[in-house]
Amino acid sequence: STHLSEPSMELRDFDETMQQWTSFQSKTHPLSLSLTSQLRLILTPSQSTKLSGSYRTGKRLNIKRIIPYIASSYKRDKIWMRRAIPTKRSYQILLCVDDSKSMGESSSGELALESLVMVSRALTMLEVGQIGVLGFGANTFMAHEFTEPFASHDAGAKVLQKFTFQQDYTDIQLLIKQTIERFRQARLQSTSRGSEDLWQLALILSDGLTPSAAHEHIRVLLREAMEERIMIVFIIMDDTASGKDKDKQSVVNLKKVRFMGNDEIRTEYYLDTFPFQYYLIVHNLEDLPGALAGLLRTWFAEVNS
Amino acid sequence: MDTEMGQPALAEVQQIRVNFTTTSPDLQLPEGRTQLLVPADIKRYGLSRVLNSESMLNTSSPIPFDFLINGSFLRTSLEDYLKANGLSAESTVTLQYVRSLIPPVFQASF
Ligand SMILES: [Mg+2]
Repeated sequence: STHLSEPSMELRDFDETMQQWTSFQSKTHPLSLSLTSQLRLILTPSQSTKLSGSYRTGKRLNIKRIIPYIASSYKRDKIWMRRAIPTKRSYQILLCVDDSKSMGESSSGELALESLVMVSRALTMLEVGQIGVLGFGANTFMAHEFTEPFASHDAGAKVLQKFTFQQDYTDIQLLIKQTIERFRQARLQSTSRGSEDLWQLALILSDGLTPSAAHEHIRVLLREAMEERIMIVFIIMDDTASGKDKDKQSVVNLKKVRFMGNDEIRTEYYLDTFPFQYYLIVHNLEDLPGALAGLLRTWFAEVNS
Repeated sequence: MDTEMGQPALAEVQQIRVNFTTTSPDLQLPEGRTQLLVPADIKRYGLSRVLNSESMLNTSSPIPFDFLINGSFLRTSLEDYLKANGLSAESTVTLQYVRSLIPPVFQASF
């Protein structure tokens, strides 16, 4: 099937990416642990302490059932409440990594790969479901299939082999289309049992730059994703603190030119039309666990309310 | 018959991130205004207008500018320059601006 990468794809040297994976993993280990413990609280529903329902036996009487019970000559005898058992959740999480040149020309690319290692390690330790990795730029490619295990260094190094930051366009509209499509397929192929609740979550790691003209089209696709219960979080890699990028302005302050009809020229903040509702701006890797956990906590609170 | 031929309806306008620099002390941009996303089809005249605009140099009367890109004057659109030099819109382009020596009356032809 699709476990092979596109035939034309150039791969980085395996030994080199193995070394890179190992080094990133040890560097980010404390952050992975921190993210794991924060996500455990958010992704796995807490033990329900509420008593509810109507049963023949149970923990406490359901007062509302008493009068119907007596009125029915003690026939309607499901008068007890029990502790509700939360539904087991399983997840399909797609990590989408920007493989375009703009990532390689700044240190955002390295930050994205470090983040990929850190987040994927945290998710693997959590054991909440399947993890996929998608690369994107002018095209998209699956760097790791949902169905493949992601526990070894080997799997990780193979993923890193596919990221060269050579794609000369950043088509986030295509990325969202592909994300929806991959999740549709993954839902059909999901091994989770009927009693389990399947959640689909995409995390995009990118410098955030895609033509402003596409923002409105992306917004339409994001609504489609939301209707299919696919959650998409955009993590903007904004590594402007490092030496290599010291002349690079943060995306937060970046403006775009707009030529108005009447010969007037205006500048507007690029992020003003950024279509993603759930996004984070990460300057340092250390910020990511807390920020990501905070965002997911907000999202789950909104969904559950 | 296709009435919209030769006019791609949804052609996405590419954007290029440019970094403006100058060696003229009297023409420095304020800090935080040196980078900008501009449409890829922009040429010298458009760039000159952008630089003069209120949100950039905010000049009281327009100064015509020329732009040096990797040591040579920009004489095509940015997009064409990038193509001719094997670059893409993914690159941040550094443009050094200098007062134009071309008489202003000819500037519209660029
Ligand atoms: Mg890019």
